[in-house]
Amino acid sequence: MGRTSRPLLKYLLRKILFLIVTYVIATTIVFILPRAIPGNPLAQILARLSQLSISNPEAISAANRTLMEEFGLGKPWYIQYVDFVSKALRGDLGTSISFYPRKVIDLIIPVIPWTLILLLPATITAWILGNTLGAIAAYKRNTWIDKGILTSSLIISQIPYYWLGMILIFFFGVKLEILPVQGAYSQGTIPSWNLNFFIDALKHYILPFSSIVISAMGGWAIGTRLLVIYELGSDYALFSEYLGMSDKKVFRYVFRNSLLPQVTGLALSLGSALGGALITEIVFNYPGTGYLLFRALTSLDYPLIQGIFVILIASIYIANFLVDFMYALIDPRIRLGQED
Amino acid sequence: MLFKMFKPLFKNKKFIIGFSIFAFFVILGLLGPVFYKVNPTEMAGMFESPPSREHPLGTDTYGRDILAQLLHGVRTSLYIGFLAAIISLIIGTIVGTFAAVKRGIVDEVLMAFTNIILTTPFILIAILIASYLRVRSIEMVALILGLFQWPWFARAIRAQLMSVISREYVYLSIMAGYSDLKLIVEDLIPTIATYAFMSFVLFINGGIMGEASLSLIGLGPTQGISLGIMLQWAVLMEAVRRGLWWWFVPPGIAIVAITSSLLIISTAMDEVFNPRLREE
Repeated sequence: MGRTSRPLLKYLLRKILFLIVTYVIATTIVFILPRAIPGNPLAQILARLSQLSISNPEAISAANRTLMEEFGLGKPWYIQYVDFVSKALRGDLGTSISFYPRKVIDLIIPVIPWTLILLLPATITAWILGNTLGAIAAYKRNTWIDKGILTSSLIISQIPYYWLGMILIFFFGVKLEILPVQGAYSQGTIPSWNLNFFIDALKHYILPFSSIVISAMGGWAIGTRLLVIYELGSDYALFSEYLGMSDKKVFRYVFRNSLLPQVTGLALSLGSALGGALITEIVFNYPGTGYLLFRALTSLDYPLIQGIFVILIASIYIANFLVDFMYALIDPRIRLGQED
Repeated sequence: MLFKMFKPLFKNKKFIIGFSIFAFFVILGLLGPVFYKVNPTEMAGMFESPPSREHPLGTDTYGRDILAQLLHGVRTSLYIGFLAAIISLIIGTIVGTFAAVKRGIVDEVLMAFTNIILTTPFILIAILIASYLRVRSIEMVALILGLFQWPWFARAIRAQLMSVISREYVYLSIMAGYSDLKLIVEDLIPTIATYAFMSFVLFINGGIMGEASLSLIGLGPTQGISLGIMLQWAVLMEAVRRGLWWWFVPPGIAIVAITSSLLIISTAMDEVFNPRLREE
């Protein structure tokens, strides 16, 4: 039989292997892209610089010299690639052009906590609220409660995070003037561990947090409602009903089983949630990864763009793995090796 | 046959509502710029003036007419959405059916490829590619978006076809010596037609939303006006914090109205065609 003694371990190892392979492919693409796209601005800058360096070596600025060195001009591509990987493994993602001479990694690390603080609680809150609403709708199927939840969820799920952010800024920040309109803390204050700063940061947190929670909630509600309705029609639910089990009890079993696919859904949605949060940061001038990426993009700071991608993709995969791990823990079929 | 297939839809209230809203915006995008002949890229009046009789939706920082921008924006965004959806649908169908029909190593390779793209956020891939293209036409943006949003569809198609293939009538066709292509076209494609159509609708949404995201981050089309470009201009000019609501509200409403009408259409189709959801 195909049963092994440690199905959970095997499952997790397979996941890790897949993610490592995927990560290698993804970072390779990050490496190849600027070198392969015809007419890409980086290639043009480098070509101009290399001509300049032959005729007049002094004319090149220090930042550009670093750019040339780091993109390994003149070396064959496979040596460039080995350079890129071995440096990245040592935590060296190159030097930023627009923030020269600061290292890319030193620019990225301080902004990551801000993105995490915004993204994680908001995503989890949205997941819980959305699933609860969806379950309520399914339980009260075809009543006005169901119709109300479904219709509003359908519309809310289509509101882009950042546009909802704009509307919230306009109402609460500009019209009512009760909440700050931008940033993660007041200008002039320095992040520190005291109560005043905490309260200030909290006030700045409310709007970007709510815009992500509200717009992410609808999708979960729609999904859970469908899953619960399917599950209510399954044999075991009907059978329990015929046995005379109370509605509430049946519903509790059904709800738990319907949540399983939503856990996998959480892993898959992290990517789009991150994308949405990155742009929300731009709208709020919130000092996270998205805002840094935006500045890197507008100043064509390619080493920084490349570095942000290497980090972002890695964090997505790690998050993905954590969700899969959770899934394996709660789904007995995987735990006992009866998958497929 | 097609008419017969879609006929029950028009008895569904949800579908009628969704379809009417969507049709309204399609007409707005197609005919709006024809009838409202104001150039969206040229100064047409005072700077940043609120809605008035002359400019029903006001003007922006450069005195450009917002209504004209909106009409052209709806047109462009719908065009991008459709184009991206067609690309995604074609790739997804090919990958999904080949994986299901060929099985074995072809299936393994195709699904590994699909999973790799699925694990990497599609908007991130789009941002990465767009950042290296200095000139981005509207079609190019649609292509970038369409190339990466098909994986979930391919997986669903494969799963569905796998279950269809083990049915008797497919065995009979195989025994009758049908070629793979004939089998796919005659026996398999019809079974996924409604699902494909529903997914097509969602792909349009992905395209419209994706364009808006790319534009906001500064990587949208470099010529032409889309709903995303309008939002980007509004953000760049601090329209939100300066209270110029007529500038950033209309493009957002258009995006939400178009995408949620499409979602309602797809939900209604699910209700009509999916026996497990039909109300008893």
